[in-house]
Amino acid sequence: MTEKTETKQSGDTASKDGDRGIKVIGILCNWCSYAGADSAGTARLKQPVDLRIVRTPCTGRIDPIFALKAFEKGADGVLVSGCHPGDCHYAEGNYYARRRLELLDRLIPHLGIEPERFRYTWVSASESKRWQEVVTEFVGKVKQLGPRERRAL
Amino acid sequence: MSERQAEIRELAKAALSEGRVDYFIGWGTGYDNSQIVPVFVRDAGEVDELVWNPLAQHNLSVYLKRKMPESPDAKIGVCVKGCDSRTLVSLLQEELVDPEQIYVVGVPCDGVINRRAVEKEFSGEVVDILFDGGRVTATSRDGESKEFSREDLLFDHCRSCRYPNPLYQDDSAGDPVPEPEGEAGPIWESLEEFEALSTDQKSARLEEVFSTCIRCFACIHVCPVCYCWDQCVCRSRKPELVSQKVEAKENLMFQMIHMFHVAGRCPSCGACDRACPVEIPLYLLHRKMNQELHDMLGFEAGVDVEAKPALQTFDVEDPFGEH
Repeated sequence: MTEKTETKQSGDTASKDGDRGIKVIGILCNWCSYAGADSAGTARLKQPVDLRIVRTPCTGRIDPIFALKAFEKGADGVLVSGCHPGDCHYAEGNYYARRRLELLDRLIPHLGIEPERFRYTWVSASESKRWQEVVTEFVGKVKQLGPRERRAL
Repeated sequence: MSERQAEIRELAKAALSEGRVDYFIGWGTGYDNSQIVPVFVRDAGEVDELVWNPLAQHNLSVYLKRKMPESPDAKIGVCVKGCDSRTLVSLLQEELVDPEQIYVVGVPCDGVINRRAVEKEFSGEVVDILFDGGRVTATSRDGESKEFSREDLLFDHCRSCRYPNPLYQDDSAGDPVPEPEGEAGPIWESLEEFEALSTDQKSARLEEVFSTCIRCFACIHVCPVCYCWDQCVCRSRKPELVSQKVEAKENLMFQMIHMFHVAGRCPSCGACDRACPVEIPLYLLHRKMNQELHDMLGFEAGVDVEAKPALQTFDVEDPFGEH
């Protein structure tokens, strides 16, 4: 039942050249990456449309489980981005996040997910150009892999 | 073995009669000689209930995580093996246990045996298991008797044990066993088979393995470093990370919550593996997590009381994250 609805939805969002749409979830920190993505939009930089953004207060708020839950719910890729280490709005949140996300990054292949489907990176509020590059590159890679086969995770 | 048992009893007796502890947690005989269960001794006259043999697989530091079952200021005596002492160190690192309130008897350990492996050799119920040096003799209710070598019955993680002697103790029951030879690094060979699979096969295998989970929560109840109880996010409805459905999806999610939330504090003591009634190889997740933490930071959980769990601290110079 769920399977069917999913296919129907993705059929609707399929782009003109016929490929089935993919879902990429972006988990961004409010102060840097979200603002960076915002300014990329304001500057009208062309970006892939497959990214759906979740705004969090800080990368330190991000439990690795968030990313895994996204995969479980059918995401084809998860991109986590926050302030550069040293620039955290809350001084040190992203230092904690760095350890957690690195651990997650290393465990992703072990959990049966292609490593290209997960990435964590740092984009500041003023780096709208960099944001465009990061998103285009990441979504491009996920597109190449195509939709994930739906399993337990 | 019996020497260590006598030593445990003596230490427990001294501690109880001198009033240094209110009660003493150790291992004792269950319904019959084939089973060992945790026992709580409250009186110096009852110390003969305490037993030590290779069936004593329980990690007793689990009783300290919420100072069960008595008042918060009770003084508790507890027996630990090498692996158990590491979870105790994890609890001490987080200041969840007050070192002033506990009296720790360290028991040097030659490895514990897998009772289920014995059970599988018999058609009937096993009622008696006797130890004689390296030999193990098991008898079933029908009177059928079989002999095994202790080495063959050892748990997987005992074969690769690197800390047979407790790392944190007030008194030691018996002389320390020789430290294992060979390389100092942790041993991960049990993961090799799984690691060799392709990404797709891994995902299929995880689904297969976790579809048998009945979510009885035994693994988190016996886990000494998993202590959020009713506040656990796996029981939360909002956000609902794990629903009530029992299928591979939710089961795997639940186990991954456990894995990530004990990261940096789990020393792979194997208590969850042993508690699982459907024999899910949980080490597939936990050992890998520990291996990666070791690769990342050279960190081993529960080794140094003064250290902080790896994910509860940071170093500005951490050598990763540049991508």
